[in-house]
Amino acid sequence: MNRRTSLALAAAGLTATLTLAGCSSGPTPRSSSPSPSDGSSASPGSEPQLTAADGYVPKPVGDLAAGFIVITNSGGTADKLTSVTSDLSDDVTIHKTENQKMTKVTSLDIPAGGELNLERGGNHIMFMSLKRQPEEGQKVRVELHFEKTAPMKVDLPVKPINYNPARH
Amino acid sequence: MHKKTLMAAAAFAVSAALTLTACGGGDSSGSADKPVADIATQGTTKAATVLDRPFTKPNLVLKDTRGRTFDLREETKGKPTLIYFGYTNCPDVCPLTMSNIAIARKSLPKADQDKLQVVFVTTDPERDTSAELAKWLPSAGDMSFIGLTGDFPTIQAGARQLGIGIDPPRKEKDGTVVSMHGAQVIAFSPKTDDGYVLYGEDTSPDDYAKDLPKLIKGENP
Repeated sequence: MNRRTSLALAAAGLTATLTLAGCSSGPTPRSSSPSPSDGSSASPGSEPQLTAADGYVPKPVGDLAAGFIVITNSGGTADKLTSVTSDLSDDVTIHKTENQKMTKVTSLDIPAGGELNLERGGNHIMFMSLKRQPEEGQKVRVELHFEKTAPMKVDLPVKPINYNPARH
Repeated sequence: MHKKTLMAAAAFAVSAALTLTACGGGDSSGSADKPVADIATQGTTKAATVLDRPFTKPNLVLKDTRGRTFDLREETKGKPTLIYFGYTNCPDVCPLTMSNIAIARKSLPKADQDKLQVVFVTTDPERDTSAELAKWLPSAGDMSFIGLTGDFPTIQAGARQLGIGIDPPRKEKDGTVVSMHGAQVIAFSPKTDDGYVLYGEDTSPDDYAKDLPKLIKGENP
């Protein structure tokens, strides 16, 4: 009884915590070392060095879809994801999710020596009014646009509706 | 009693500490944070949160996917029931949650599948008509799932009785609508008809598959 109560409260506390974690305006990168001078490999002030990995699109239900990807910046300068384009849809936007509510944003930060993690339950790419229904095994080609770095083309594989690699 | 209070206080202290860590954005390797992390792990090892004080099933009378009146208490009385509040223009968590439950449900013996009631209540009733729900729910989840729509204030009040806060959909200047889904799936016991277990959005199909046989009997997972 006691243990259960405390666990329930701990769980409630965690919920509150996760909610409040959204109080910073930007995304919450996994890396906590945005400073280029803390011994990361990049020299201070060096150009952003972006790589994109682990992207996917869960098989859409209806005529909208979400896209997820991790963008890592090994350079010494921060960058921003400013827009995404795709032949899947003419209406592609980037969203943040806070308090079970997703809202469109104009950019998402990619800190120097850190990463921008678009993952389930959090930030994502939103495709509206899909031109076709992508099936599992197919790929969705997207072009990522940044504030400083040149655009990058990435293929996002279509995965099952409930695919969630970040879950542990 | 005394012990219980202390543990409760500890749990809240943990939440406060984690909150500050999250907002500070700094590193969390400081020694003061270590016990915090340990306790937090304990609280998250299981998908289910069993409530000491279960929720009474809300008195929701809405429309189902065929537009018929659906009285939640009457229709699900004595049946194991999962309820989730979401909306169909939700690209991520809502289909994820419905799909996870659908996959877990398929792993059950047929008799248990038939007993389990999965109810999706829209938080965006203006866009989610009965017809929209009828189209979306079988693809996101399963043919057997019950989709409900109706007046937003009725839905909001029902959610509130389950501790779920839902804001009305808000129309932005550019015409896009910002809706909101609930944070939890709530399981109702066939024995008491009370909502006694919560599942967060990180709950996997395996977690549900493991717990459903017990939920179907009204037991604690």
